Amino acid sequence: MNRKKLRALKDRLLNGVTFLSSGISVVVLSLIFIFVFSRGWNTLNWNWFTNDYWSVNMYLALPEGSQSSYNKPSDLSNTVYYSSKYGFAVTDYIDEQKISQIKIVYIDPSSPLLDASILTNGPDFGKANPIKVNMLVQKFTYMDDVGISHSAGSIIKQNAAQFIDTLETKSISIKSTYVQTIGGGIRGSLIATLLLILLSLLIALPIGIMSAIYINEYASHGKLTPWIRSSIELLTGVPSIIFGLMGMLVLYPITALAGANGTSILLGSLTLSIVLLPTIIRSTEESLKTVPDHFRSASLSLGANMSQTIFKIVLPSAIPGILTGVLLSIGRIIGESAALIYTMGTFINDDPSILKGSTSLAVQIWSVMGGEQPNFQLACAISIVILAIVLFMNISVKFIANSLRKTW
Amino acid sequence: MENAFEIKNLNLYYGQNHALKNVNMEIRKNAVTAFIGPSGCGKSTLLRCFNRMNDLIPECRIEGEILTETEDVLAKSTNVVDLRTKVGMVFQKPNPFPMSIFENVAYGLRCQGIKDKTALKSSVMESLKKAALWDEVKDRLNENAYKLSGGQQQRLCIARAIAMAPEVILMDEPTSALDPIATAKIEELVQNLKREYTIVIVTHSMQQATRISDDTAFFLMGEVIEKNTTKVLFTIPADKRTEDYITGRFG
Repeated sequence: MNRKKLRALKDRLLNGVTFLSSGISVVVLSLIFIFVFSRGWNTLNWNWFTNDYWSVNMYLALPEGSQSSYNKPSDLSNTVYYSSKYGFAVTDYIDEQKISQIKIVYIDPSSPLLDASILTNGPDFGKANPIKVNMLVQKFTYMDDVGISHSAGSIIKQNAAQFIDTLETKSISIKSTYVQTIGGGIRGSLIATLLLILLSLLIALPIGIMSAIYINEYASHGKLTPWIRSSIELLTGVPSIIFGLMGMLVLYPITALAGANGTSILLGSLTLSIVLLPTIIRSTEESLKTVPDHFRSASLSLGANMSQTIFKIVLPSAIPGILTGVLLSIGRIIGESAALIYTMGTFINDDPSILKGSTSLAVQIWSVMGGEQPNFQLACAISIVILAIVLFMNISVKFIANSLRKTW
Repeated sequence: MENAFEIKNLNLYYGQNHALKNVNMEIRKNAVTAFIGPSGCGKSTLLRCFNRMNDLIPECRIEGEILTETEDVLAKSTNVVDLRTKVGMVFQKPNPFPMSIFENVAYGLRCQGIKDKTALKSSVMESLKKAALWDEVKDRLNENAYKLSGGQQQRLCIARAIAMAPEVILMDEPTSALDPIATAKIEELVQNLKREYTIVIVTHSMQQATRISDDTAFFLMGEVIEKNTTKVLFTIPADKRTEDYITGRFG
């Protein structure tokens, strides 16, 4: 009787432990998600995807005698303040550094703001540079009715209402303006990440698929094949920072030949394609193995040669597995940071191109957190984007694996 | 030459396993030759020698000769790809490619580099007609071959082999995965095909051998015990073991 009770107790205890453990992992995972979402959610909006990371300051002049009377559009909300003298509207805006700013939300088609020109000394002096919606007002220098110039704007701690009030009641004309574009966007990193995915796959896919074919179709009984297989397995275990170092030291000369000067997307792609090779080779090989041998026999018995059999019969049947490999690779590229720090650089580039350094989304997180003022909000917002993409990839893998599974 | 193949002193080893022992045999042209015998006796192995499919098995070693009019099939210098266009094969399980009916039949021709569409079309039609499948599929040539029934799939595989205009068709238990009605259709087809082709068929069913074959060879443990015309072999077998097998005492 006692032994029976003990056994039941042990059973319940072990069941409880497994339940608890799975509970802990689920809770921890959800906490991470909740944390990231709560911190980053507010930053997410459409402009954030298309904005530059670096904000640009502009010192602009408006045409002389630019004041006249403009009609207020009817669809402006209560929190928007309209200047009928100069034909534009502003609202209060908190930037990602938690500093309150004045953001331009509307400009009349005939407003003098659209005829602004650069006032900074230099080669661009006098060039037309219209003020656009979504720029931030730093300072407007205006003349009052006795010809004395004053400043208005967020630089003297005015909010949108005070700023417009000052312009409407005191100004006769505007001498100069300091405006700023909104920064903190991820457009550059987004483009760089897409370029990185494209280039890495372009390099890694053909090489990976071809080597998988060689290992599985041509050399499946070769003496060297087990060695090749295990060295590929080893590659999967190498920490990616080592690939990064190797890319910097070994692959850099190759990109230098192509004209890259220092870190570049090309160098990052070359390095990542080496990181990806084991994944692609493994998944392609797995799917080649699932193609039944009788297809190969049938094709060969019809007088097809080896390469015709592989490329016309075997490879098409292996496509679902290869696609799975591609999606896994994309997930890997998006999540990779260590291998890219030395090869693609950590400087956020708003205008990325293949031969220039830039950051992927993951490295941008590293960058914005690595500075003197870590920007948690931005990092979390980028994390949401990465998580969303990875989640989408994983769901697609399952979907593709299920829907393309052939029946023969 | 009366014979499609003359096998001389053929020995085949799978690693240490001596799978075919000193086989000597002739395969008559434009006749159906059946290979019978219990499982694992080497029938299919010998069949796969005729189109060198055993090349795919790495530990397989063959000694001896299989002579055709022009060459020794087993010689190293023989062009295997050419050989296989002359010696077609139909497998145990229907195995069409995962593509359309038309493409299945056209596959071998395309591999030969034939691109002319009218030539492909006419030869696909011809082959399907010869395989007695044309009437059933003429309206759905672009459908996936896997929509066909098992018997139709097997006839498609025969059409696929015929499209290459072979001299010999090897059939490795072509009806073992089919129901009796589909089997009857394939048997009838084999009877018609022998006018144009030499057919070698491996079968588990002695009834099938008596129904469709002209010659029969009885295999046991890697040896050809007896080979004769089907009539003689099944009525007055020369060897005791053949008699035991065909009367159902073992196997």
